Amino acid sequence: MARLKLEHVTKRYEDVTAVDDVNLDIEDGEFVCLVGPSGCGKSTTMEMVAGLTTPSEGTVTIGDRDVTNLPPKDRGVAMVFQNIALFPHMDVYDNISFGLRLRDYPREEIDRRVEHAADIVQLEGMLDRMPDEMSGGQRQRVAIARAIVREPDVFLMDEPLANLDAKLRVHMRTELQRLHKELDTTIIYVTHDQAEAMTMADRIAVLDAGKLQQIDPPLVCYNEPANLFVAGFIGSPSMNFVEGTVTESGLESEYFDLEFDHAAFQGVGVGDAVTIGVRPEDVYPASEAASLSSGSRPIEVITDVLEPMGDEIFTYLLMGEGETSMAQEAATSDQLLMSIDPNTDITEDQEMDVVLDRRNVHLFDAASGQALTHGIVSPPDADGAAGSPAETDD
Amino acid sequence: MATSDRRDDRVEPDEPEGGPLERWTQRAMQNPERVYRALFYVVMIFFMVTTLFPFYWLLVLALTPQSRLLQGSFLPQIDLFGAAAEFPLPVAKGFNPAAFVSVFEQVPFHLFMLNSFALAVTTTVIVLVIASLAGYAFGRLDFPGRGALMLGILAISYFPPAAFVIPLFEAFTGNVPITVPFTEIPLFTPPRLLNTPGSMVIPFSALFLPLSIFILTTFYAQIPDGLEDAARVEGTTRIGALFRVIIPLSAPGVATAAILTFIAVYNEYFFSTIMATSFAAGNWSPLVGGILSYQTQYTTQFNLMAAASIVGVLPVVLLVVVAQERIVSGLTAGALKE
Repeated sequence: MARLKLEHVTKRYEDVTAVDDVNLDIEDGEFVCLVGPSGCGKSTTMEMVAGLTTPSEGTVTIGDRDVTNLPPKDRGVAMVFQNIALFPHMDVYDNISFGLRLRDYPREEIDRRVEHAADIVQLEGMLDRMPDEMSGGQRQRVAIARAIVREPDVFLMDEPLANLDAKLRVHMRTELQRLHKELDTTIIYVTHDQAEAMTMADRIAVLDAGKLQQIDPPLVCYNEPANLFVAGFIGSPSMNFVEGTVTESGLESEYFDLEFDHAAFQGVGVGDAVTIGVRPEDVYPASEAASLSSGSRPIEVITDVLEPMGDEIFTYLLMGEGETSMAQEAATSDQLLMSIDPNTDITEDQEMDVVLDRRNVHLFDAASGQALTHGIVSPPDADGAAGSPAETDD
Repeated sequence: MATSDRRDDRVEPDEPEGGPLERWTQRAMQNPERVYRALFYVVMIFFMVTTLFPFYWLLVLALTPQSRLLQGSFLPQIDLFGAAAEFPLPVAKGFNPAAFVSVFEQVPFHLFMLNSFALAVTTTVIVLVIASLAGYAFGRLDFPGRGALMLGILAISYFPPAAFVIPLFEAFTGNVPITVPFTEIPLFTPPRLLNTPGSMVIPFSALFLPLSIFILTTFYAQIPDGLEDAARVEGTTRIGALFRVIIPLSAPGVATAAILTFIAVYNEYFFSTIMATSFAAGNWSPLVGGILSYQTQYTTQFNLMAAASIVGVLPVVLLVVVAQERIVSGLTAGALKE
């Protein structure tokens, strides 16, 4: 039970800066996910909290103690590792009680705690098994039991579900959430899977290239991404990005114009180069435009590829001439991704008009990538720019 | 039966030209398995003979009474239905198991064995502790100069031990101070270590360290980082993780290093005959010194030396047999699966 603080934490290796001036303030009992692509510094950040790596600069505080230079054993943290890291030469009981035995707890106390931990993760009756006699999920539960048995101040989980198969991963995800509810301990959870982060975290900390991009509750990250990177990283499939410019009359891009009153928004001026971002679910066929309070003008597109997912259809739309170009990135392109109702009558290579929900159109500074506004309906506060997904569906 | 049938089938067509050797070669070319098996037996028998014959010969010598030893001729004549031949294996002339008792009566041989045993155990412990720490550093840490240091150890391990004997002997006499190289500036005078375990354990440890360091480095390097990190987060220091997790998981490597060191010291001759100035158990003269003390200026009791050798070798044989089981069980139970 403690709050965790990282202040100006930086880790430099000989030629790279793995973590660059990260500030995090994590409340007692909070579940925070560190997400980011591979090599973004999230594991290094975790190791610095655990004490396995010493930061080059900055301080790490757990509770009121500055633990920056303490060895891992004196920090009151417990960790679940990506590769599970059970000691193969010890049975389950010895694995779970390892930390307690090192701290010379009395025998009865150890027994009681191990039993309680095994109870929480449903490992009763398996205490005398060896790790190699267990399945992946069972081993993962032993690793979690080993962490909770010490009643740590902070739980660190480094991609604990990465090595499990998809079905077990979803199952363990719920178990971890239940566990968090039960233990009410501060948890830091590292993952590269944004879906995992979205579903579990109280707050998500998005890291890229060693820098903290945004730390906010999942839906805030989703609806009001702080910059282009967060907008592209959070959400699957990724947000559509189109390059554009601010004009007197609105927003202009190569393929479409949007109504936009720049005067109503701060920090946006005529002639500014911007990146227009819109999520696939905020693109609608023109036939549905009537139901939108603030739809854009219709945009002419040609459907390209359809990906029926069951509950929705991802439709790739080509704007302009409709020339199919290979290797389209999620970044700015002449391609739009639309997510529509599975019952919509739609075929490939069909000409159609689509509209964007202007309440959920994001503008980013083209040069810096910083978010300028979320929603381009003026006045911006009138229609709830931070609309939840529920709002966008009506 | 099946094989002979097949052989007949194969041989029939080529039969006219070949003698037995030619036929065998023919079959071997069609079925190379046979050659491999034959080679295996040849090599096996060769090694069995070379390793076991000395023991057999020792036993023959030990059991032959001293008086008949010098008459020689251990290959007996056999006369079988008029055909006389020499039996190809030496046999004992007479049967004198009492040699195994007089071994202990003439010389306190058990004390010599104890010396060797104590020296070997001490050296093994020292070597394992130091080599473990070194192996951890070389195998698991990344530090500048690691390659150069490793190379240095390799170079030292190829140094002829004889090169150390004279300076070490001089140092261990405790008469002259150690000086700064190429000057007369004295650093310190070592204590007199001749005829003490120190004069043997120190050079043995130094000489047998490199091998153990190499073995343990490779083993420790293979333990996944995650396990050490887990142990450290759970509450050990780096050293604690080494002893509680890394070493137990490297048990086969540790056992190998221990056995090799133990046997090398137990059998050591060169340093111990020099550092123990006489073949006396009180001077920490080891096993070999004990065996050699059945030899006096005028007599050499070969039967007792042979008996003593057999007695001296038994503990090592036992150790290897027991440890081998441990190594095998360690290998199978180790299961470094993640």
